[in-house]
Amino acid sequence: MDLKFSPQDEQYRERLRAWLDVNLKQHQAVSKAGDVDPVQAARDWQKTLCEGGYLGLSWPREYGGQEASLTQQVVVSEELARSGAPAPINTIGISILGPTLIQHGSEEQKQRYLPKILNGEELWCQGFSEPGAGSDLASLQTRAIEDGDHFVVNGQKVWTSLGMIADWCFLLVRTNPDALKREGISYLLCNMKTPGITVRPLRNAGGGSHFCEMFFDDVRIPRENLVGELNGGWRIARSTLDNERSGLSGVISIENNLDRLLNLSTSLNRGKERAIDSDSVQQQLAQLWIEKEGLKYLGFRNLSDQIANRPPGPAASVGKLFASRLRQKIGKAGFDIAGPLAQVGKKSPHSIARGRLQAMYFDSLGYSIGGGTSEIMQNIIAEKVLGLPRSYED
Amino acid sequence: MHFELSEEQNAIYDLVVGFMADKWSGDNRRQGLDSYPCQIPGELLREIADLGFYGISLDEKSGGGGEPLLTSALIAEAAGGSLFPSIMNTTLAAAKALDLCDADSNWLAKVISGQQTVAIAIEEPNGCWGLDSIELTPQMDGQGGYLSGSKILVSDGDFAQVFLVAALLPDGPAFIRVNANAEGVEINSMRRLDGQSIVELEMKDVRFEQDDVLGDGATLNQVYDIWTLLIAADLLGNAQSVLRMTTDYAKERQQFARPIGSFQAVAHRLADIQVDVEIGRSLLYGACLALEEESDEATALVSAAKAWMNDLGVKAAETGLQLHGGIGYTWELDIHLHLRQARSNAVTLGDSKYHRARVASHLMSPEY
Repeated sequence: MDLKFSPQDEQYRERLRAWLDVNLKQHQAVSKAGDVDPVQAARDWQKTLCEGGYLGLSWPREYGGQEASLTQQVVVSEELARSGAPAPINTIGISILGPTLIQHGSEEQKQRYLPKILNGEELWCQGFSEPGAGSDLASLQTRAIEDGDHFVVNGQKVWTSLGMIADWCFLLVRTNPDALKREGISYLLCNMKTPGITVRPLRNAGGGSHFCEMFFDDVRIPRENLVGELNGGWRIARSTLDNERSGLSGVISIENNLDRLLNLSTSLNRGKERAIDSDSVQQQLAQLWIEKEGLKYLGFRNLSDQIANRPPGPAASVGKLFASRLRQKIGKAGFDIAGPLAQVGKKSPHSIARGRLQAMYFDSLGYSIGGGTSEIMQNIIAEKVLGLPRSYED
Repeated sequence: MHFELSEEQNAIYDLVVGFMADKWSGDNRRQGLDSYPCQIPGELLREIADLGFYGISLDEKSGGGGEPLLTSALIAEAAGGSLFPSIMNTTLAAAKALDLCDADSNWLAKVISGQQTVAIAIEEPNGCWGLDSIELTPQMDGQGGYLSGSKILVSDGDFAQVFLVAALLPDGPAFIRVNANAEGVEINSMRRLDGQSIVELEMKDVRFEQDDVLGDGATLNQVYDIWTLLIAADLLGNAQSVLRMTTDYAKERQQFARPIGSFQAVAHRLADIQVDVEIGRSLLYGACLALEEESDEATALVSAAKAWMNDLGVKAAETGLQLHGGIGYTWELDIHLHLRQARSNAVTLGDSKYHRARVASHLMSPEY
């Protein structure tokens, strides 16, 4: 048993660090200058990453990927997270749609879409959830009716990250309302400039507007934009939900948040002593560190499974559930440590860490909802890992 | 990058689980509660020794199996889950202690072959854990010295022929070898919540020679960490067994014309234990590896594992008791045995608060 990377992987890491040292600084300088559109800056950063060869690591070379080893993928996600580099703006396209097309797309679709997902030329959003279809995603109602060589789509999607700026959307629609609900769903690719699409921003609980609602009125999508088979969309979508749930990079961002708390508790005074001098703060931080280490070593176990070609499967739900709970504990601990000043907003006298604790807290609340709620994760673990009988009718 | 059990480790784990299922059961433990302490048939102990478990993580040149520390932890986990008594952990730890202290090889051979039981005596009646709380100070003379004072909570002291007594010597802490039958030694059985052997060791002017002094502060710390990890492994195995037992029950037990495991109020509690078990297993492997590689974080990771497993062991057993309903509250069901073992181990070699404090001092150290 060991956690060592090969000398080649370590050399690769060194090269990436040197690369980040130059390129990330350059990006940060441009972003800070302020006179540049943040979306454009984010697209440019993604392009830089792509040209550096640090995106699409697992993808085939013919579509712009790197065909890198699994350990190199880990090195990249570790180093990007550690350096504080922003995630590529097209993360949803890269992590969800890309693998879906590689697995299920036609040759034309792969050639047409994959390279532009990677270089950020086309930004993607995901049209899955609906007002009436959240945890019970398979009950979605957005209809697509075949009309010659087109589908005509009507319905509503919601919680769509990047909806306002995306060029394309991958969409789950009902193509057969008479079949069992999982057997009448298809997977479509929709150009966001198609007439009949209305996008409205939704402001989230933390005050940002990262997601949107989308309305589809007689939106015509060419038949060639169907991924996989007609009415075969549910299986296709499922195969990449697990993708979304596995992965190690989350641990490092959690580690960064925890380090932020540690720094705060050594620099902030509560009464006559530093926050960290209090026994209860020490206990709390220690517990968070313990859980972070547990998550980290769980990640190494999952990674070893992947290296040995054992699929992550439902065990990935364990990590997703635990990670979102840990993020929330860290978010809440920020409030505990800050004490009376926890309530002070950013850009205010006496505000703490420029409002970052509050942002961290509100961010953390989304993690147990997006990508499958914690309660659904508990269902999956109960059914698929423990083999308990299903708790609900389908 | 290879963070998983080897084939040998999986095989040894399965072997211990199967062996215990054949030879040991909760009934043995129930008897121990009525007629303290829980006895283990001599023949069974010999079989265990013959399987080579005790020395499995020692170097081959010390007569061991050459396996990493994790293999011992897996044995402790399997034994703990089977409700096998603490003598397994005690002997695994004692064998490691003697090896780390460069004890005489004949002595070590006796211990790993099961001919002699060695108990480790650390805690004193001062309400604290850890090596920092040791106050026992011998009176030294040129060739050795005299020990007077008491140690308590000494696991398996009823069966031990020899004690390794942690004491403060002029050069720092060390073990002193004390024979159970030495003059001035009095062994008083204490009653552990789960029926296992713990004793109070009273010493009055007990003579020791210079070559009875073993190890130093560093080796004592290592022994403490290793033993702590073995008990953490025991707690993990315990939680895993309770989870399996309770999951099986939830699949079978019908109420309202359906298995109770189909109710989310039941299923989600079991799912949560599953998550905690997976995190615990990850911490155990990580801590074993860190100790093996003598990483700077090793002690913090050992404490992480023990703090987590303390809470897990108790939570799993209490949840298991609750989810079994009325039957869970009976003497016949093994759940209370698991709970007793978890509750006892959770305050052995440091409770969660103690180990979180050790983690906190790591986080506050300049090296972090």
